[in-house]
Amino acid sequence: MRYFIYSLVLFLLCGCSQVSPSKQVRPDELSFPPLEFSFPTVSQQQLTNGMRLYLKEDHELPLVELTLLVEGGSIYDPLDQAGLSQFFARTLSTGGTEALSPQMLETELEAMAAILTVSSSSYGYEINLSLNQQDLKRGIEILADLLQRPRFDPQRMELVRTQMLEAIHRKNDDPGAIAGRLLGRAVYPGHPFGTESTAEIVAGFTRDDLLALHQHYFQLQNFWLAVSGDVQQAELVSLLEQEFEQKHVTEKLHLELPLLPPAPAGKILLADKEIPQTTVLMGHPGISKDNPDVFALRVTNYILGGGGFNSRMMREVRSDRGLAYSVYSYFQVGRQLPEMFIVGSETKSQSTGEVVTLLRQLIRQIRNEPVSAAELELAQKSLINSFVFAFANSHSVVNRKVRLDYYDYPKDYLETYRQRVAAVTIADVQRVARQYLHPDDLQIVLVGNSQLYIDEIKTLGLPVENVDLQSTQ
Amino acid sequence: MPYKIITILFIFSSIISTSVYSQTLVDKVHEHQLANGATVLLVERHDSPTVAAYISFKVGGVNETSQERGVAHLLEHMLFKGTKTLGTKNYAAEEKMLEKINAVGQQIDFTKNQPNADPEELQQLSDQLTVLQTEHRELVVKNEFSKIYAENGGVGYNAYTGKDSTTYLINLPANKLELWAAIESDRLENAVFREFYTERDVVHEERRRSYESSPDGLMYETLLATAYKVHPYRNPVIGWNSDIENLNPDKIRNFFDKYYTPVNMVITLVGDFDSEATLQMVDRYFGRLKPGVPVPPVVDREPEQKGERRVTIDFDAEQQLMIAYHKPSMPHRDDYIFDLLMQVLCEGRTSRLYKSLVVEKQLVTDVNVFTAPGSRYDNLMILSMTPRFSCSCADIETAVYAELDRLKSEPLSAEELSIARKQIMTSILRGLKGNSGLARMLSSYQTLGDWRYLVDYEEQLNSISAADIMDVAKRYLRADNRTVVTLIRGEEI
Repeated sequence: MRYFIYSLVLFLLCGCSQVSPSKQVRPDELSFPPLEFSFPTVSQQQLTNGMRLYLKEDHELPLVELTLLVEGGSIYDPLDQAGLSQFFARTLSTGGTEALSPQMLETELEAMAAILTVSSSSYGYEINLSLNQQDLKRGIEILADLLQRPRFDPQRMELVRTQMLEAIHRKNDDPGAIAGRLLGRAVYPGHPFGTESTAEIVAGFTRDDLLALHQHYFQLQNFWLAVSGDVQQAELVSLLEQEFEQKHVTEKLHLELPLLPPAPAGKILLADKEIPQTTVLMGHPGISKDNPDVFALRVTNYILGGGGFNSRMMREVRSDRGLAYSVYSYFQVGRQLPEMFIVGSETKSQSTGEVVTLLRQLIRQIRNEPVSAAELELAQKSLINSFVFAFANSHSVVNRKVRLDYYDYPKDYLETYRQRVAAVTIADVQRVARQYLHPDDLQIVLVGNSQLYIDEIKTLGLPVENVDLQSTQ
Repeated sequence: MPYKIITILFIFSSIISTSVYSQTLVDKVHEHQLANGATVLLVERHDSPTVAAYISFKVGGVNETSQERGVAHLLEHMLFKGTKTLGTKNYAAEEKMLEKINAVGQQIDFTKNQPNADPEELQQLSDQLTVLQTEHRELVVKNEFSKIYAENGGVGYNAYTGKDSTTYLINLPANKLELWAAIESDRLENAVFREFYTERDVVHEERRRSYESSPDGLMYETLLATAYKVHPYRNPVIGWNSDIENLNPDKIRNFFDKYYTPVNMVITLVGDFDSEATLQMVDRYFGRLKPGVPVPPVVDREPEQKGERRVTIDFDAEQQLMIAYHKPSMPHRDDYIFDLLMQVLCEGRTSRLYKSLVVEKQLVTDVNVFTAPGSRYDNLMILSMTPRFSCSCADIETAVYAELDRLKSEPLSAEELSIARKQIMTSILRGLKGNSGLARMLSSYQTLGDWRYLVDYEEQLNSISAADIMDVAKRYLRADNRTVVTLIRGEEI
């Protein structure tokens, strides 16, 4: 009631006279209390069976989330078996166990309203299981059964093959997907990062390939498990030690990373598609997490194209000229090998040349001219003050902790993150921009109606190559 | 934006172990109404020192007239441009400049629509506009809202416009909540629509990207425009090209002044704050806004469909198929029944359509179901399929209709019903994780009516029998109530 009277008075005042802007509190006139924040704790231990367990109990909701990382991944797919790790992941998740047919497994999981997914990424396999709290025991029994005794049911394996062949058949449907594929191929020729699967390769995968892969990677000492939710540590540990049984201790995996090819010279790749807008995607080799300049580059990229509406690319391309809805740049900070620096946008066919020119100019500018103190300060404040959101969700907290250890980040990575961002100077930004941004070496992929911009593109001083989407694999 | 309503639905009761929690949550939501009519929903959560802040309005694309289609969405873009004190170096000087820009802009729009528009005159006007815009840029502080939120640690600063509602959101460190109140109340009171003509071009690019260059977007847009003849659910929220080309700052201003007012507004805050102090703060900033008038209901009513509608789109992509049926929306009882029906039909790998089409007959590699395009007026149940290249859409349709006919002739088992209920409830629980998820859900349902509508959802769901599902299947899943859209390359038609 108190609120009612108070606001009524205010409302009447408003009704009598227009509130002038001068009464508006400017945000910079406000002062704020300090933010109280402490790093959440994650319990971690190695179980007697060799698995590593990271746990964050969270009893707010009666749910449990499990994410298991298993060493391996698509970077170890031989080139003539590109896509094998994906074929493996999908058949593992749908192919049943020795004890449970695929149908029985699915029926039981869905009756519990559980969600199970398996995927592969460059450096690992990821298994996610989401459970209602009361199904924890049975859920872990099923998970253990699946990971230790997979069936790779032949019919389900064929179904996965069919789905992968269909995806290959559809690879030219979406302009963004085409651009991504062509860019990877141009930057990493002959490397797993730049090699996509083909119908011929997928047709050749066998069940023996899957068994061999499982045998090689799915050993308990390669398991890194993140768990959050409504679970008690003692109960969980005992379940895991009971259900996951270490048969024999194998040697630690010694995985050889395939060497990256030398950086290719800059060029433009044109792929034709009858659409009114060109997808622009450009990139060149970048950095890995072990690079000492990773924080300076994070700040630099925020200013260039990573800071959303606060970035130069968004301001120049979208806000000032209305040439695009989306425009961005980022470093794919490689977990082990260096990955790409990427710039992307989409613009109507007629302004393709203008956008490509503008984006390259912006890269040159950040190399050639120091950024302003205000730009640096905004980037640093944004990265530092939003750091608290890295801990807003308990599963992301525990998952992040696993990843930091799995990929061997420095022990004090999170604790020193804000200091290291704050330490970046204007000179650092210019130095790393010069060292790591190379506008003349970009592979520039343009997917669209090239007749409308080819003449302008040819004047950019880079070799131009046409890619025939129909004939390429 | 097509999204599946049931994934964000109904948290407050459950047939499983969630009942205790649900009751706790009911206790946790504090609802208040400011004297000017604004609704405020507050949920304290102290796990992390952050807050999710949502402001929704009960207005969207569906409330536009044919003269202003796309205005709600373009307005959403314009509301990021600042106020009389934010985003400007000198508003007094800027105001005069904006008048000039708008005059030239409107002259261009008038001229370009004349039957014998002179290209030279248009070019001259366009050059004039460019000069004025360049001059105006000197007075602008670029994207200042975004800058202030960013330097204070805000993340996910965004907005979305739907058919039924519009939402503005941000996540902030908990100590910065007052910043949100200062900025958001300022933008409701003092918004300045600067850089309009550039932003109109941005929306054109957004349309090209999301609809004209995307097979999925093109299919969805075509499906709505085919299934609806009269109701404004037929129009894309972003507008057709000719709509966007003819929007102007006056139309934006009128729409804004008319509907973006406290009586149509829902403020939802979830996170680490003290409710009482926060409510006082919200009242201090938003309580002074004038109440406004409620958005009137849409009176257009879609006539009953009299026969199947089919359309084929020629696009440079592999074939795709969508099948849609008209149905009532919440809180109609049949809508609850559809929630269960869709779950059994198409959610998960043991669902009827996945088993039949993907696993057994292997006609498609994926099949999905969702309701669209809104939830305030009668909507559609849409099935979307990815055919295998060797399969024909005709065979797929036959297989789909066989499964739909089974729903009409065979009652679901008690077990199927109970599993479907558990799956729906669990997906709701998952949607609650995180402050933003909860804020979004409360905001959505309050904007559509009343979040407490959700409290009796369990009872509704539990009261649905196998016979109810058969009855709904018979009444709605009929050939004369469906629309079929296929997309295929021209040479293959």
